[in-house]
Amino acid sequence: MSERVILAHFEHEDDLLAATNAVRLEGLQIVDVFTPYAVHGLDKAMGLKPSRLTWVCFVCGMVGGLGMLWFEHWSASISWAINVGGKPWNSLPSDVPVAFEAAILLAGFGSVFALFAVCKLYPGKHIRMISPRVTDDQFVLVINEANASFDLSAVQDLLHKYDVVAIEEKLL
Amino acid sequence: MNDTSLSTKEQRKPLVYLVAASALVLLCGAAFAPDHLEINLGENSTWVLWDQLRLRIWSNLFVVAFFLLTIALGGTLFIALTYISGAGWHVAFRRIPESLAKALPVAGIFMLLVLGLRFQEYGWHHDWHGGPGTFWFKELWLTPWFWMIRSVAYVVVWSLLGKMLVSRSLKQDESGDTKLSDSNVGLSALFLAVYAVTFSLACVDWIMALDPLWFSTIWGVYNFSGMIQATLAVIIILGLLLRVQGRPLHGVFTDEHLHDLGRLMIGFSCFWMYIWFSQYMLIWYTNIPEETSYFIIRTHGSWGPVVVVSIILNWVIPFFVLLPQPAKRSSGIMMKVAIVVLIGRWVDLYVMIFPSTLISKPVFGIWEIASICCLVGAGTLLILRCFDAKNPVPAKDPYLKESLHYHAN
Repeated sequence: MSERVILAHFEHEDDLLAATNAVRLEGLQIVDVFTPYAVHGLDKAMGLKPSRLTWVCFVCGMVGGLGMLWFEHWSASISWAINVGGKPWNSLPSDVPVAFEAAILLAGFGSVFALFAVCKLYPGKHIRMISPRVTDDQFVLVINEANASFDLSAVQDLLHKYDVVAIEEKLL
Repeated sequence: MNDTSLSTKEQRKPLVYLVAASALVLLCGAAFAPDHLEINLGENSTWVLWDQLRLRIWSNLFVVAFFLLTIALGGTLFIALTYISGAGWHVAFRRIPESLAKALPVAGIFMLLVLGLRFQEYGWHHDWHGGPGTFWFKELWLTPWFWMIRSVAYVVVWSLLGKMLVSRSLKQDESGDTKLSDSNVGLSALFLAVYAVTFSLACVDWIMALDPLWFSTIWGVYNFSGMIQATLAVIIILGLLLRVQGRPLHGVFTDEHLHDLGRLMIGFSCFWMYIWFSQYMLIWYTNIPEETSYFIIRTHGSWGPVVVVSIILNWVIPFFVLLPQPAKRSSGIMMKVAIVVLIGRWVDLYVMIFPSTLISKPVFGIWEIASICCLVGAGTLLILRCFDAKNPVPAKDPYLKESLHYHAN
């Protein structure tokens, strides 16, 4: 799948944020934005929907916590009942710490691996860098040219309002 | 009052009446009402309206005074924590915790009055010479005059350090000297070190000593967790009230600040539950009689449901309601959760103190309602008075710009 895109390079965070906002309001299709660090407010400027990762985290945590509670109950009082310190077999307080840890473990791992899956990130993946300077000191806004009504000069004019330092076209 | 006040006399009037009426009810109860009142319903049945009334009123005042004191102390703690961690996000609304810190001397004096009023309620006072299970150090530590001097010392030290922190911040409004921020960082370090020790001791002296043979080594942390959670709730409520159109923090206290306070509140709700459970589980597991006495009263019989209510209000509701991100940015939801947390704080203190002083079953009636009205009214009036509406924002703090442009996510 190849598509023609425009890479707009910026030197400053504020320019990037304002340009991204303007491009979105213009109705242009933003492919992605590359920054050397997390820029606050960029998700809103890009018009991204709220992340669904929180739901993955919540469900994994619930599965971890409730699953472990059930497992502890099953193993310590149904399958192989053990008398520990004369406590009842189905003692909820003694099950809580492990259930708590399991909830956190699954919530954490679940979120990280869900993120990897969504980003299609795996060990040894070859990454084509859009521009080497996005890992250092530049911000790059990537705009899709696919639309038939795309007017290159108008977009260039728009970007120049926000102190763009370089514009290049690329085939992704 | 002066023109820097936040509210007009007319607006304060209902609160003044509320405080006056509820204080009158408590005062009349303590002075004139019989200690034990029951109504005969005929054949072998009586309806006990109340029992041990003076002790009950004192316990109510204790809960209320400690509630107010820990809110004021929590404001000071919030300021100290943010200075020492180099935080900038909170500066726009720092006058709110500062107004809480300014309330410390009054809240402290109220606490000391309540303690001094009836401190023979402490079990050790009756036979502090070698009761069962006493130990020479405990006897020395709980000698009444030493105990009272310590209590005064805690309040004085907290008030002084709180006052110093606030006064340098106010001085910065005029001079804009960034050295004042630096010196507040050092002062905050001192406050935190002093606070950690003295607050633990104060909780032990004031609350744990109600039941002199019982002990818990996590007691100080447990009280800290409830205190900071309730303080965050108060800061959220005040922030939301002060950012309404036409009030001093309109446009200053943003959704971003609310979001972060919400995160802290949900975090400290979990911390409270974690510490509550840590205390409970170790005592339950070890099962040593001198440790279990606390939980046997509170989890067996009629106190049990009250403990469950305290857990629901302090953890279950804040945790599940504040979990989604939009909830932490919504004024309505945050206000409701903060109020739930404050009710939970009262229930938590109630279940800490009442079973130790009255032992019998849970009570809730006119005396509890009157003391809560007193707390809400007097607390609001006190904080209103301490909030300086003329300088509602630390205008020359070096981090103010960062705070105003802050993004929480």
